[in-house]
Amino acid sequence: MTATTPTTTAAARGFARLSVPDLITIGVFTAVYFVLVAVCTFASAIAFAGFGSILLPALCALVSGCVYMLLVARLGKFGGITVMGLVMGLFFLVSGHFLLSFLANIVFAVAADLIAALGKYRSRIGILISYVVFSYGLTGPILPLWFMKDAYVAALEAKGKDAAYIDGVFAQVNTGSFWLAMGAILVCAVIGGWFGQRMMRKHFAKAGIV
Amino acid sequence: MSTVTTPAPPADAARGSHGLRLDPRAKLFLLLEANLLLFFHVGTPTEAVLTALFIVPLLLAGRVRSAVRFAVVYAALLGLSLIETPTSGGWAWLAIVPMLAVGIRMLLPCLITGAYAFTTTSPGEFTAALRRIHAPEAVVIPCIVVIRFFPTLREDYRHIRDAMALRGIPSGGGSPLRHPAQSLEYIIVPLLMNANTVAQDLSVAALTKGLGNPGRHTSMADIRMTPLDWAYMALCAVPFALFLTGVWR
Repeated sequence: MTATTPTTTAAARGFARLSVPDLITIGVFTAVYFVLVAVCTFASAIAFAGFGSILLPALCALVSGCVYMLLVARLGKFGGITVMGLVMGLFFLVSGHFLLSFLANIVFAVAADLIAALGKYRSRIGILISYVVFSYGLTGPILPLWFMKDAYVAALEAKGKDAAYIDGVFAQVNTGSFWLAMGAILVCAVIGGWFGQRMMRKHFAKAGIV
Repeated sequence: MSTVTTPAPPADAARGSHGLRLDPRAKLFLLLEANLLLFFHVGTPTEAVLTALFIVPLLLAGRVRSAVRFAVVYAALLGLSLIETPTSGGWAWLAIVPMLAVGIRMLLPCLITGAYAFTTTSPGEFTAALRRIHAPEAVVIPCIVVIRFFPTLREDYRHIRDAMALRGIPSGGGSPLRHPAQSLEYIIVPLLMNANTVAQDLSVAALTKGLGNPGRHTSMADIRMTPLDWAYMALCAVPFALFLTGVWR
């Protein structure tokens, strides 16, 4: 992936303007990514029942490394990752997720794009780091879990229950699970990204796609 | 495997409906309002009234079953979240039940409006709405492609499963659990190889049809805001406004 020059996309890399074929390429890979996220959602809902949604971003990060790596290698321009995050966010929003998931997707996608751009979309480590950052964009849909805990605590306090009791019930459920979810994303994104890069070398480089 | 199948026309949910049919932008408004509900932690009465208002369009669009299901789930969660749990002793852990109920209940308005927007808007209307709100082409084109590409993906996946079965590689049931990396590789690599080809085919087709042309693009789908749209948006805004101004909570 680092040595082979892109064959089909023109020589323009870095901060060139996105053309219509570029946008279509992004759309196609976003669709694959979206389907993977959807499949993971169902799988985790079945596998982990109630706590599925907490580990969902990690599971997605584990699975979708290939898509990300192929998109970055094919496009090699600033904007690809951003648009992917944007479109994902839009679909999250339209399918009824919290507004925050829209924002999280965009913020992390732009950050991931900038990190990948630093390595001119060639640096293997740079792309891996950008993939990890991008994976945090999926935390949007689960962040309300921690937000709504505040709302619930407020409701309990209004009912006249004492603060010690509330803390006792919810303290470890929340900070603990929060860091667990965040840590799991980190580990899974690294593994997923590494797997994706291995697949790139094993299959796509040989087929002459990248 | 690299056939580009034309997606079947969307299950005429929008066209075949009678009675109330909202503009995509009105649906977007409802969706945003549902999100704001979550953001401002509105009171339970306001939330219940608005949830009822969100279910009505779903009902009128002919989605009776999902409307009834949402209504039942919401009512059940509302009941569960009002339970008073013991504050101390061995049963204190039961507090987790109302907590989960409140959590899911607060998400429901979003899910309802989302289901409504998703199942009653055709891709053409969605595109027209995106163009009308002046979304940049960098957003519009990938969105169209995503919607357009889903049926192709499903088709491809079926072909891959067939090919795997032909070679005697187990692909269904528990095999993704037993050989996760292998299953992932065997499914996703052909899928992406094909996605890559389709991206090129679609580019050629789209450019031929003038997607890359500058200027305004016309649309087959005719969307316009009717007085009904405005009226319904206003109706939904009232309880929320009352809550925010503190008149009724």
